Amino acid sequence: MFDRDVWQEIFNTLKTNKLRTFLTGFSVGWAIFILVMLLASVNGMQNGFVGQFNDDATNSIFVRPGTTSKAYGGFEAGRRIQLKNDDLEYIKQSFPNDIEYISARYYANATARYKAETGSYSVQATHPDHQAIEKTLVIAGRYINEADVVNKAKVAVIGRKVAEDLFKDEEPLGKFVEFNGLPFRVIGIFTDDGDDNAERRIYAPVSTYQRIYGNTNDINAIALTYNPNYDLSEALEFSERLEILMKRRYKISPEDQAGLYVWNYAEAFDNISSFTAVLKGIGIGVGFLILVAGIVGIGNIMVFTIKERTKEIGVRKALGARPRQIINLVLLESVFITAISGFVGLAFAWMILAAVGPAIQTPAFSNPSVSLSVVVTATIILIIAGVLAGLLPAMKAANVKPIVALSDK
Amino acid sequence: MIEIKDLHKSYKMGSNSLHVLKGINFKVEEGELVAIMGSSGSGKSTLLNILGMLDGADSGEYTLDGVPIKNLSETKAAQYRNKFLGFIFQSFNLINYKSALENVALPLYYQKVPRKERQEKAMQYLERVGLKPWAGHLPSELSGGQKQRVAIARAMAAEPKVLLADEPTGALDSKTSYEVMDLIQKINDDGNTILVVTHEEDIAHMCKRIVHLKDGVIVEDKKVEQVRAGQYV
Repeated sequence: MFDRDVWQEIFNTLKTNKLRTFLTGFSVGWAIFILVMLLASVNGMQNGFVGQFNDDATNSIFVRPGTTSKAYGGFEAGRRIQLKNDDLEYIKQSFPNDIEYISARYYANATARYKAETGSYSVQATHPDHQAIEKTLVIAGRYINEADVVNKAKVAVIGRKVAEDLFKDEEPLGKFVEFNGLPFRVIGIFTDDGDDNAERRIYAPVSTYQRIYGNTNDINAIALTYNPNYDLSEALEFSERLEILMKRRYKISPEDQAGLYVWNYAEAFDNISSFTAVLKGIGIGVGFLILVAGIVGIGNIMVFTIKERTKEIGVRKALGARPRQIINLVLLESVFITAISGFVGLAFAWMILAAVGPAIQTPAFSNPSVSLSVVVTATIILIIAGVLAGLLPAMKAANVKPIVALSDK
Repeated sequence: MIEIKDLHKSYKMGSNSLHVLKGINFKVEEGELVAIMGSSGSGKSTLLNILGMLDGADSGEYTLDGVPIKNLSETKAAQYRNKFLGFIFQSFNLINYKSALENVALPLYYQKVPRKERQEKAMQYLERVGLKPWAGHLPSELSGGQKQRVAIARAMAAEPKVLLADEPTGALDSKTSYEVMDLIQKINDDGNTILVVTHEEDIAHMCKRIVHLKDGVIVEDKKVEQVRAGQYV
């Protein structure tokens, strides 16, 4: 196979038919280029989607109360459900092995003032676990801790935008800022990858806000994360168990869609991954069909080459070339053209992706790229394609009858 | 060396069958130089093709150097051709992108002789046909006579038992023809068995024996006084 004579022959045919070789090779190179670009695009979309959701822990579940739409358990429809502090403890104790982090959410709005600057922001009063659930990145100071909750401390973790708005160039940590007239000490500043709006938010201990708003036990929502080792079906099964438990606790009909909302991120992920899987399938399908056209082109050119070289093949056979050797020669040539042009296409696609890919960062499409496995697969496909393209012409060549080839008529 | 008995061959031409060889009996001893003569359509080329294992006979026996040639697979035929036979064609049939040396070395390549040895051997044969200085030239850079001498060197490179020449001088002028025949005679003098298909009287008389073919049968088989081509060169 790695014989100088064989290569000499291959290079000779390629050299004498430069344009023809180029055009054929181009079709295969182009096909691989498109295939890789399609796969990279799908990958980019997937990256974009995942990026959007990555803002929150992907194993999170949010429980929100609603208003019942069905009469059940002796209650009429239209009852407002109100979650309480002890629901948290109840869930934790009901699913000791499932829950990773859990936090209440108490929503409020605050008009904040520091010196002359004022602004209106939304406040989420939470437990310390909320940091892990929302993946809040504290860039200075600290997040709310257990002591803050127990002491009902008037402390706040403010978003980066809030800090910019109110404090300008001053260092906010340790300063007191007024929320609706009450002084809160700034203990931390956070950023959020998600969007700017999230950085206009303020976190405070849930107990502090419950006391401010009439010493209540009410909470607006429960956020939790489950065991991150759960696969999709386990995750969905868990949120179902959680929903059944909570509906029973609040005497909501199991069929009532409006009484209680349990929102599991896994469901969204399930949809996205099946969506991108379909896109990937389409990408591979389209790319493959284009590649088939390229293969047919190579096969076509090999048929031509053999037709032109019938006489030469006849001479070789007269000199003692075995059919196997003729087949090898043609196959090697075909694989060689396919592989080289395919690699050129691959390299081009790869270079473009490497140069442009990282710069593309839109919400729905970011960093299109191909993995090593795609490259390896493409290589294997190329070699198989080359063999397929050359096989029929090669058999044809091997069947050339020397006397027919050598007749001078 | 060659022995054929009652050889028949016919070709299908549409619905008709053309009976080309109608029972040929023929024997060639080692070291002979035989001319096969006949007008076109007499079956001489068909006979040569069968002798060269490029075509199969319908019936009859063919023994080459004691080996029966029958029902050969493509691969086996290729091996036998390589081992037993050297071909010289009317139109030379050199491979046009290979140098004279590489053309001569080609049969050795199919014998799986290592590259270096191959080239040395090929060079020896080129020297024998007087073309050593042209070893690196492509066929397109050689004259007709030179091309045929390269082809002869190629046919001999594999050291075959029999050389088969199909109208070796058919594409050459008479002076070059005699040069080529001179070479063939010298090779025969060294003890090689050679069969020459020709329709030219003078070429045939430069062999030692003439076999006349007509309508698929041998009509005459005689030994002749060899005319040396060297005197015309």
